[in-house]
Amino acid sequence: MGRTLASTTQVLLHEEGALSRFRRALRKSDQQALDDLFNAAQQHLAASAYAAHTLPFETFLLSMLLEEHKEVMRLRQAVKELQEMHA
Amino acid sequence: MPECKGWLLDLFEDSEDDVVLYIIARDGRRLRLHTCFPVTFYARGSNTELRTLWRFLSSQSPKPVLKRTRRFDAFTRQDETVLEVQVQRAFLQRPLFERVAKSFPHLTFDDADIQLSLRFAAATGVFPLAHCTVSFDEGDTLKSISPLEKAWALTPSRIPFRVMTIAPNCDPHRTLPERLEIDCGRSHYQLSLFPERGLLVNLKALLERFDPDILLTSWGDTWLLPYLLETSEKHSLPLPLNRESRKEVRWQKERSYFSYGRVVYRGQQVQLYGRCHIDRRNAVLWDDYGMEGTLEACRVTALPLQVSARSSPGTGISSIEILTALREGILVPWQKQQAEMVKPASELFLADQGGMVYQPVVGVHKNVAQIDFVSLYPSIMVNFNISPETIINDPAAENLVPTLGIGIDNSITGIVPKSLKPLLMKRITLKKETARLEAWDPRRQDFARRASALKWLLVTCFGYLGYKNARFGRIEAHQAVTAYARELLLRAKETAEAAGYEILHMYVDALWIRKEGGIDKEELDTLLEEIQLNTGVPIALDGIYRWLVFLPSRQNENRSVPNRYFGAFEDGSLKIRGIAARRGDTPSYIAGVQDRILKMLADWPDPAAAIPDIIQYLQQSIRLLKAGRVPVQELLVSQQLGRKLDAYTTLPAAARAALQLEGIGKHLRPGQRVRFVYTRQKDGVYAWDLGNAPDPAIIDVDQYVKLLIRANSEILQPWVGSEKDLVARLFASGGQLALPRQPKAHPALHARQPPANPCGALAIIRTI
Repeated sequence: MGRTLASTTQVLLHEEGALSRFRRALRKSDQQALDDLFNAAQQHLAASAYAAHTLPFETFLLSMLLEEHKEVMRLRQAVKELQEMHA
Repeated sequence: MPECKGWLLDLFEDSEDDVVLYIIARDGRRLRLHTCFPVTFYARGSNTELRTLWRFLSSQSPKPVLKRTRRFDAFTRQDETVLEVQVQRAFLQRPLFERVAKSFPHLTFDDADIQLSLRFAAATGVFPLAHCTVSFDEGDTLKSISPLEKAWALTPSRIPFRVMTIAPNCDPHRTLPERLEIDCGRSHYQLSLFPERGLLVNLKALLERFDPDILLTSWGDTWLLPYLLETSEKHSLPLPLNRESRKEVRWQKERSYFSYGRVVYRGQQVQLYGRCHIDRRNAVLWDDYGMEGTLEACRVTALPLQVSARSSPGTGISSIEILTALREGILVPWQKQQAEMVKPASELFLADQGGMVYQPVVGVHKNVAQIDFVSLYPSIMVNFNISPETIINDPAAENLVPTLGIGIDNSITGIVPKSLKPLLMKRITLKKETARLEAWDPRRQDFARRASALKWLLVTCFGYLGYKNARFGRIEAHQAVTAYARELLLRAKETAEAAGYEILHMYVDALWIRKEGGIDKEELDTLLEEIQLNTGVPIALDGIYRWLVFLPSRQNENRSVPNRYFGAFEDGSLKIRGIAARRGDTPSYIAGVQDRILKMLADWPDPAAAIPDIIQYLQQSIRLLKAGRVPVQELLVSQQLGRKLDAYTTLPAAARAALQLEGIGKHLRPGQRVRFVYTRQKDGVYAWDLGNAPDPAIIDVDQYVKLLIRANSEILQPWVGSEKDLVARLFASGGQLALPRQPKAHPALHARQPPANPCGALAIIRTI
């Protein structure tokens, strides 16, 4: 069935495409990090769609932040366990 | 006055007898009855134009009965003043309406183009294939007809059809057949196509002696019946394919149309009068639900058997809704002029969404339960009364649709829920009955196939609700369904998480959940009850997976995709979605190898343990390919043509194959499938329907090896790694692979004997 608005998946692809010049000018290692961030945004597409935010890119940024924070929490836990092991 | 009980086989309009009915009587007779059947349509618009229309109609001969009256319009939600035009003979309605519509383009018309069988079912309660009582006079004029069963009867009475099956001995679009294989009753006949006169004389004798009710053919629409009719004309020897000797058969042209993002092709149709012709190759979903499902679809949609067998489920659901509207006295729009409600952009953002689709957690998971809502969308329409006429544009309404600024008027029950409820109930009951029956019970297949026919109707009903041009479609109703679906899925997620489950994936109406320490069945039952309580829609356990793999995207392995997964249930059965074995264009050899690998994975509690055996099996399969021991038929790729040949800028493989066929005068339309093999020649392909089998020496074996590896790399990825890693493992002992020796015992060889005709198989032996 037809839709009036682009789906969130399409919006994410569009945003990624729009940043292709930005990505090109990055170092290869930085490009990899940028790709990881977009993968993180893709992981939460359902939530971004459901949010129906007027500026979907904000929810993409939040998704990236969310995955980053998950990683921080995971690392924090790992450090704690290591510290306990050596205490 | 004679009276009898029987089944309505067919009904159609006739210039002399108006409406003709064919009845299969219980005593074995076949009755041809006729009746005058008045039909009504409505017109509305400005008073001046309606007055002119009244004068126009009054001057017609025979003059229709005209009346000013009021009827309910589902879209304005009120009674409208209309001009009722009752034509005394059904046969005359169509030509009269065509003249009216042309002369009065500014008027709005309703009930104008409705199938006769639907009008008849609404007026008498007798639908095609219904068990009924008829009384008639000596001139075979129908005096009365009344139904003895409803379309919703769980076990409809068995109809003593006389079925004649006719099939050519091979695919006529590939090579000219030599004979026709005919089955009627317990007899089997073989009629040679030549001499033509002999074929016609024998077939005529068979048709007259056996007098079948149903002509069940293979390629009947696209080859057999046109061929027979042409031959019969050539020899001036009429063939009684119709029971109506005065009538010619009814032709419908082939067509291609666009639906759900792809082009669909429907072959030409040949329909008969007084006898039903079903072409197994052109009937809708025949492979899925067979004769039982086709008969069930005919009963519930009230479309004549020949029409319903060839109609999409969408037409079926539309017919059920029209029938409900006719019975309820609601206007059925002819050409709908319904615009979307005006809404602010913020609301459009909220409303213009589909079902909720998650990105699963990629990888292998153990002990996962899949729970599905039972017919979620139809259940929502029925439970929450969603229909075009129940939607109200009032943010302060009592029953608000979640997140949207529209409400539902529950003071009336909508056409859509009214039409769907019996359908939904019947499907749920049939499914329950099927589950209760023993595996050997012959009713099991019958029930399952009929349930499948109902399933397809229910699946389509949602799409039709959102289709602007559907008679009872309305965008807001469509949006309301998805809004409820998202809400219910989220409620299910919250309930499961509150009970300590982890959500791995959610997909529109299904959830994949896991719990620390494994799934406890009793605990899960409690969860299902709780979800049902919180949502109002039944939810059931699809199964518990021993292990389940969510695959990443083919383009980017760091991204997940929602509908590519496979897993083994506790009983060892597999569920597979979105991988090569399930794609229509995968050559059967490759699909077969992949199927076997999946079974090998499912045989082990820990699939990783199966990998060494699988690598060996894959090496053997590649060796078979390279040794030319795979029959060409198993390498056929079947792809759909997406557009007309001249519309391509660069030609994909399917179009190149279609061009080869064009060269020998075989024209394909968009939506038709082309079968071909990959070759090492200029075109890179060889179209299978060119007639002669391709020279085995030209087959592009490397391409098939590549396809085989790619297809299996996608499922082995969690254990083996990327395609590159798989290739490395496969060819690690390359010396062994390079030897063109015969494998000792190849599992596939048990199923596939080498073909008797060596020309049909690849004879090429190549080394790496």
